[in-house]
Amino acid sequence: MKDKRLLVFEMVRGAAAILLALCVATIFIFLCSDEPFTALRYLLVGPIVKDSGGFNTASFYTILAAMIPTIFTGLATCVMFSAGQFNLAAEGNVMAGGFIAALCGIYIKMNTGLHAVVCVLIAAVICGLIMLIPALLKVKLGASEMVTSLMLNYIIMYVVLHFLNYNFADRSKGSTQTFPFQSTAQIPALVPGGSKLSWGFVVALVFVALVALFMYRTRWGYAIRMIGINKSFSEYSGMKVGGVIVLSQVIGGILAGLGGSIEVLGRFNTFLWKELPGYGWTGVTIAILAKNNPIFVPLAAFFIAYLNKGCMLMATYSDVPSEMIDIIQAAIFLFFAAEQFLAGYRQKIVVRNTQADLAKLETVKEGEA
Amino acid sequence: MKQLFDMIFQAEFLSSVIRITAPILFAALGAVIAEKAGLVNMGLEGMMMIAALFGTLTSYWTQSWVVGVLCALIVGVLLSLMVGFFALKLKTDIILAGIAVNMLGSGGTIFLLYMFTGMRGNTGSLVSQNILIPTVNIPLIQDIPILGQILSGHSILTYLAFFFVFLMWMLLYKTPVGLNIRAVGENDHAAESVGINVRRIQYIALAISGALAGLGGAFMSMYYSQGWNSGMVAGRGFIALAARAMGQGEPVGTMLSSLLFGLAQALRTKVSALQGVSSYLVSVIPYVATVLGLVIYAIATMRRVKKTRRARSVPAAAEEKK
Repeated sequence: MKDKRLLVFEMVRGAAAILLALCVATIFIFLCSDEPFTALRYLLVGPIVKDSGGFNTASFYTILAAMIPTIFTGLATCVMFSAGQFNLAAEGNVMAGGFIAALCGIYIKMNTGLHAVVCVLIAAVICGLIMLIPALLKVKLGASEMVTSLMLNYIIMYVVLHFLNYNFADRSKGSTQTFPFQSTAQIPALVPGGSKLSWGFVVALVFVALVALFMYRTRWGYAIRMIGINKSFSEYSGMKVGGVIVLSQVIGGILAGLGGSIEVLGRFNTFLWKELPGYGWTGVTIAILAKNNPIFVPLAAFFIAYLNKGCMLMATYSDVPSEMIDIIQAAIFLFFAAEQFLAGYRQKIVVRNTQADLAKLETVKEGEA
Repeated sequence: MKQLFDMIFQAEFLSSVIRITAPILFAALGAVIAEKAGLVNMGLEGMMMIAALFGTLTSYWTQSWVVGVLCALIVGVLLSLMVGFFALKLKTDIILAGIAVNMLGSGGTIFLLYMFTGMRGNTGSLVSQNILIPTVNIPLIQDIPILGQILSGHSILTYLAFFFVFLMWMLLYKTPVGLNIRAVGENDHAAESVGINVRRIQYIALAISGALAGLGGAFMSMYYSQGWNSGMVAGRGFIALAARAMGQGEPVGTMLSSLLFGLAQALRTKVSALQGVSSYLVSVIPYVATVLGLVIYAIATMRRVKKTRRARSVPAAAEEKK
């Protein structure tokens, strides 16, 4: 009973935070647009409602497709943040994973079905190994994983670009890209049409379940969460804190690598990213929205993908730039993560609950007497 | 190789190191003071971006670089106070609040620029020579051969950046405010128990941090790259965090590590001009230098800690034997 009320409160607070963020967005739209109502319509309902009215299935599929990489980065961030590790290298690992999977897709010969799986696995393993750098530096030397992971993002980007430009570029094309993947390496589409919704989406959902089970039903997951809550306590109760911290970041790397490789093999037929794709940062937003709980990651990813699509439509059909999404995300970030936001109201609920409990206790006592 | 060495040992190269170091130094000093108060200012990158944009815009509107710089400074302060409000009052994790500012910095600035001017991605045509921060020749020093070339002819803000190292040291170690800031960073409960207004001190430290980031931003858009563009700060705010960590959180140490990054970045510009060198791999230099620097610093600290422990444990063991 008590928990239920607080749960409802948490949900109300989340909704209030999102609403506030959308209000901020609305203010900005009214400030900069000549046709604010058109812009708002495209932002809020545009992604799933056709201009003529009616449900826009194709657009809905593209939103689902856009969730694939961000579900993975969201999961990665959930695991790392749960352990109290502010590792932000998911961003770079997505790019590394995508590139490695692309190379495997081009240069390894294999059967259909197996090929894509092998490409994705190789990418994931290498990304897990990459994450050993910030993890081991943190555990062995005490170097801030935040700083090293940020630097790592840039290092990965430039190294990938180097190999892309100097070793693997297909010079017959106008823009810098690799040769096309073999058809065996491509992840097949889940629905026909140009929505790019591949089987990767199903894999992503499977991983949501796996990570949730891992975090809440295994010893290691428990250790990860415990270390995030109280590191010294975990240490004194005999957990191998260093090992678990490394584990959490390696898992983060693997998940980010999966996201990048599945995105590249499912969406494109050649590797053509020329800068960091930004999915890592979106993953941070998603982890915040999901409160580090893997179960809520798809929901949060859907929300962000929906807003993203809305912003794109808004930029296309009205005069508001699509970078609006960053302002909305920042506002959500600030309010959603604010522990004291609406804290007075929470206090009232706690007081009311306690009073109810006390009253119940009274009546029980009276009954006994 | 010889070609490279010829390039490096030139006055012009060393002068460029100083120029490139300045914005990193501003932000790194901002990281120093925030961290001294026990706060991580993750948003330096975004603050620099936004301040840089407003610096350029206001200097264009008023046709005065002084107003532009001041405005950039004020924007930096306002943003850091916003971070302070969310982190200290509403208890948002300060790292997340910083990331939010960085988001505003990367996408929000493009949006704001469009909102104010209708331009996309850069301020190219707005900038003219008279609204850039002017350079200054130092009398006497400029007449010394080589040294004059290196030290003279920088912008006012460049000198200010290095002067702030001294000021920061003064502030932290020679003023009551600095003492309070360090006390709060060391142990905020203890500081509170002796009557220090912890919240206020933290806000002050953040505001100074933001002001410095603002100046760094102004330097970037109003001098270094002569106009604002969307990829301008390029991780300098993050490098500043690393520079602070490597400089052990002290102003002078941070200046030295900032200079190291300045050197790495200047080297990158030079090397990429050479034939047959991958410009991408060269671009990695500053970031790899950062990681290596952190590693070296961490190893050095561990050694020192071990040494002091051993030094302490020897007399203790002797005591026990008695």
